[in-house]
This record gives sequence, C-alpha cells and structure tokens, in this order.
Amino acid sequence: MTPRIISANLVVKLMSIYREKSAMFFTIAFPIILILVFGTIFMSQDNVEYHLCVQDLDQTKSSVQAVKTLALNGKFMITRVDPAVNATQYVRDNKVNVALVIPKGYERSLMQRMMLNDLNASVTITYIYDPSSSSVITKMEILNAVLAGINQKMSGNPPFIRSAETSILTKKYRFIEFFIPGIIAMAVMTLSLFGTVNVNMELRQKGIIRKLSTTPITRTDWILSNILYQFILAVISTIAMLLVSYAVFNVRLHLNAWLFAFIVLDVFSFVGIGMILTRFAKEAQSAAAAANAISFPMMFLSGSFFPIELMPGFLQTLARILPLYYVNEGLRASMVFEDNMAALKYSSIIGIFAAVVLTLGIIATKWEEG
Amino acid sequence: MTKETEYAIEVDKLTKRYGDLLAVNAISFTVRKGEVFAFLGPNGAGKTTTVEVIETIRTPTSGKVTLLGMDVTKKKHDIVPRIGVLPQGFSSFDRITVRETLQYYSRLFCCINTDIDGLIELVNLKDKTKEQYKNLSGGLKQLLGIAIALVNDPEVVFLDEPTTGLDPRARHEVWEVLLGLKKKEKTVFLTTHYMEEAELLADTVAIISKGKVIAMGSPGKLIENNANYLALTLQSVDEKVFEIVRKMGFEPVLNNHKDIQIRVEQTDDVQKILNAIKDAGALYLGLDVRKLNLEEVFLKLTGEALHEDSPEMEAK
Repeated sequence: MTPRIISANLVVKLMSIYREKSAMFFTIAFPIILILVFGTIFMSQDNVEYHLCVQDLDQTKSSVQAVKTLALNGKFMITRVDPAVNATQYVRDNKVNVALVIPKGYERSLMQRMMLNDLNASVTITYIYDPSSSSVITKMEILNAVLAGINQKMSGNPPFIRSAETSILTKKYRFIEFFIPGIIAMAVMTLSLFGTVNVNMELRQKGIIRKLSTTPITRTDWILSNILYQFILAVISTIAMLLVSYAVFNVRLHLNAWLFAFIVLDVFSFVGIGMILTRFAKEAQSAAAAANAISFPMMFLSGSFFPIELMPGFLQTLARILPLYYVNEGLRASMVFEDNMAALKYSSIIGIFAAVVLTLGIIATKWEEG
Repeated sequence: MTKETEYAIEVDKLTKRYGDLLAVNAISFTVRKGEVFAFLGPNGAGKTTTVEVIETIRTPTSGKVTLLGMDVTKKKHDIVPRIGVLPQGFSSFDRITVRETLQYYSRLFCCINTDIDGLIELVNLKDKTKEQYKNLSGGLKQLLGIAIALVNDPEVVFLDEPTTGLDPRARHEVWEVLLGLKKKEKTVFLTTHYMEEAELLADTVAIISKGKVIAMGSPGKLIENNANYLALTLQSVDEKVFEIVRKMGFEPVLNNHKDIQIRVEQTDDVQKILNAIKDAGALYLGLDVRKLNLEEVFLKLTGEALHEDSPEMEAK
C-alpha cells in the first residue's frame, strides 16, 4: 500500500467528477430533490385537510349548524353544493370523490329527538362517492368518526371508553425525521454501487486499467483509493442532505458517531457488490442493468421510503434479508430513537455483510489480464 | 537476481493459448539493449499478445520471457518501474488535462524529479498543456500516451501500434518523436502493421504471422535475403519493346497497355535490355529500377496483405 499512489488516484477521480457537471448533479442534487419532494408531501400529510362537498337540502338553522360543526372538526374544508343540483351528477362533473347530502326534514327530526325525546326520530346523511378514488375510504372513515362523536354527544351520556396517547419517543417527531435516515442510506447505496460499477467498467473498457497495470499501482492501492473516493462522495452527499433537511424542514435528528459508522458500512457493502458485478459483467450496460436489479428492490423494500410494517408479511421477511434494511434501521435507531444497543445490533449485522462482500469484491477484482 | 546481458528482452519458446485458440506458437527472439525492435504483422497475428506477456500484463502458457534479466512472471514488481508502455488503443481520463495526466502518472511511479515540461516539449504538446484529454485529436492523444510511457525515464519502451488509425500527418508527427527516442538510444519495442514505419524506425524487424515468427533481421537484410531480383519498369513503350524483351529470355508483363514490368537478376541485365531497345530503334519515355520493399517481402513470406486501413480502423 502506497499512500502517495492512493492520493494521486483519489485526486484524479475527484477532479474528474468535479469537472463532470451532470455527475456532480446526480451525486449531490438527486437525493436532495427526493428529500424536498417527499418531505413536502409528508409534511402536508402531518396537517392534512380534506376537501368535502356538502349539499344541504334542508336549508334550516340546524342544518347550517351541522355543516359548521363538520368544518370546526378541522379535518375538512367545506364546499357548499347548490340544493337545486343533482348531487351525483355534481360529483361526476366536478371530479370530487365524495359529497355529503343533508336530507330535507333534518331540523324537524332533530327537534323530535331533542324536544320530544322521540328515539325513533332519525336522519340519514348520504355519502355520494367515487370508489375509484384512493383517498375516499379515509375521508368516509373520518366522517363516520365525526358523526359518531356528534351522536355520542347528543345522547347526553359521557363516553365509557376513552383513549390516551403515549409516544415511545421522548420528543414528538414528524414523519420527515424518520424519512431522512432512509434517504441517506439509499443515496449512499446508490452512489457506492453505481459509482463503482460505472467508473470501473468505463476504465476497463477504455483500457485504462490495462495501462495502470503496467505502473507500480497495485490492486490494493486501486481498491483503497476507490473506497476512499466513494466514501468522500458519500460524506459530501450526506452533509448536503442534512443541511437541506435542517434548513427547509427544521428536522430534529441526533448526529453522532453512529452516522459516520453506518455511512462507512454502507459504502463498504455496496462498493463490494459493485466490484463483484464489475468482474462478472461483460459490458458496461449489463453491469448497470445488474446494479439496477439490485438497487431497485433494495430502495422500495428495505424501508427507505416507507415503513416495512405497511408491507405484506412475505415482503417484510424479504426486507429483513436486504442489507439496506439494516442500514436504514441502524440509522433510525441512532438518529431518531437514540437507541445505542439497537444501533450496535444493526451495525454488527451490516458489518459482517460488508466484510464478506468486500472480501469477495477484492478477490473478484481483475487487475492483470489472463 | 538480475542477470546482466546484452539483451533487454529474451523470449524463449513463448506460447500463449486462449482456450482452444493458439495465439502465440513457441516463438523465440531477442532484443538488444538500445535498439528499436519492430514486431510486424497483421491484426490477429499475435503481436499484442506477445508484447503484453513481455510487459507483464498477461501470463504465458509456456516458455520463458526475460526482461532486463528478470523473469516477467516472477519479477513484475521490479520490472514495472523500469519500463514504459503505450498500450494498444491507449486512452486516459477524459477530464484531466495533459499536464495533470503526466503529473498523475509521475506520482504513480513516485518520480519526484520528472521533467514534465521536457516531456511536453518532446512530444510537441506545449500548446495543449491545459487541454483536457477528451478534447485532444487522435494524434495528440497518442503523443500524450508516448509521453506517459516516458514519464519514469524507462530503460525499455513498449509502443503497441502507436500510429494505428491516425491520419498521415499525425502519423508523421508520432514518427518524429520516435526518431528522437531512437537518437537517445532507448530500447524500443514497437509493434506495427505499417511497413514504412518499421523500415523508417527499426534496427531489427521480426515478422510474425499466425503466432509464429517467420523472419527476422534488419530491414535491409530482410529485403536482401528475400528479394534477390530487381523490378524494371519501362514507361510508355512502343509496341516493339515487349517482343524485344521477350526474345531476350525475360518475362515482361504489360501494364496499362503502355508500361511493361520486367524482373531481372542483376543490374547488368538492365543495361542489356536498354541497349537492345536502343539498337532496335524502339522508344520508351521513362524507366524505373528498384528493389522490393518490406511490404512486398512480407507478402512473399506470408501471402497476406499487411495494411488494414479499413474505414473502422481509420475512424479509431
């Protein structure tokens, strides 16, 4: 191992990427764009307000009050529909997924129940909905909960079962705080895997590796400089992602040595896989296809974008054999939950994986021709 | 242990197979220190395989190759700092400038005192020092490759087809640089399929065909040994000349209905033919007498054409 040679190689690689603006863009900007897009979506979900169309056919003080009660709940932004129009046609024409219809006789039934204590007096509020809409079920469930609450209050009895919320976390976190560690893990994986595959395949196809094999640079120097290069890019990318997350979303995360450790293990794991792919792929295109085949399931199944608990059971089992799952969970354990024991457990698993694939990658890296 | 010999390279019964393909078939030759040795042959003849075994890039199937007294299969670590290599189809890092590329390779060889400016001047790239590799023309890229091969002041320089795919002007620029190396008495191992390149630069030429060395010697010696006759061409002759020459016992060949070509053993025969034509009152407007060149020698020895200036190669 010659530090002078490793540093020479590193400088050339860094200068090359610095001068290749599109590569710089995808290295730094792409994960930031993901954070901005998904962050904005998730932030709005934390304070979600649904659009609700209401047609009041009764047009009485009581029915107007009922509509105001729905609005006061804070979950709905109400649009009033003219009583003269056909509500079903209105839903179709205006592409709204649900309209609530307060029937004629609402106030009369209400008075019978309230004043005369007539338990047979009731009204049926109709939901006219479009079942092809993905959010309509959620809307109707919230509406049912709101109406159940109103019914319960009208009964005059206090509820028997109440609920209380206790978070396992000491602070209140938003979804974005769980999302950022996943994006860091995914971005470092993408950088390391595609960086190794693309650069090595290009240099091999252009014959530069053959030329280098006639110089004193050894395979060890070459691999070490590659790992160091990928690590520097991973650190730059992570810093950029964190800066944007803090500046735009004011995230609250714990930055400690575990973050550094998981970035190192993420780089080792996927540089190792990249080196193995480079050895066995005949062409640059097949190597890139193989890298895609590995990275895509990893991105979507390992819990980078959404919790694996939302997935069916067999996919959850599959997620637990993906190395990126352990980086995601390890980063969340350290950055969100401050759980050092969990971080240690996940780092041990990904550490063993990294050691195995990196060793195989080093063995697989071809330096001399046959 | 390094063995001191007069030879920079000694190849003994070198064989290289790729599966069932026999690329190099038990070839043997030596290269003296300080000479320019040209390895001549068409594509697929085994030139690059041979040179890559000597450069320590490939391992031989059998046979022994010694470079600067060291076995290439055992002493790569000691050999590499003492050689310079321009591989076939040389390429470098696209976005690194000429000067940065030379500095990079100099650092790989841990050469503190490399005269980067001197190398740039040697290969005539003074105006291109800040140009990135991707912006250089094919000829300039090859010149940079040669400069890289010299960055560690090597004892033996390997140049694998340094002018393939270059236009004639760029080819002459590369030749100028190689002639400069020859003057400095560097040991140069040159592989080429350009005959004039070998004739111009080489002290010794080895002709390789189908994995075997079929002839070796100085260009002059090869021509002399393989072309023991002269080619006489008489231009714009009148009708009688063909018959006169034929009656003298030669075998004239009519070319373009105007010129005739005659193969003669000695220079005296040329004079005899010219005298006979003059005595018969016949006419010719010009004449040319020449020995065979290396290309014709190659054709005679191998039955294969040497030049492969296909459109793809020119586009390289």
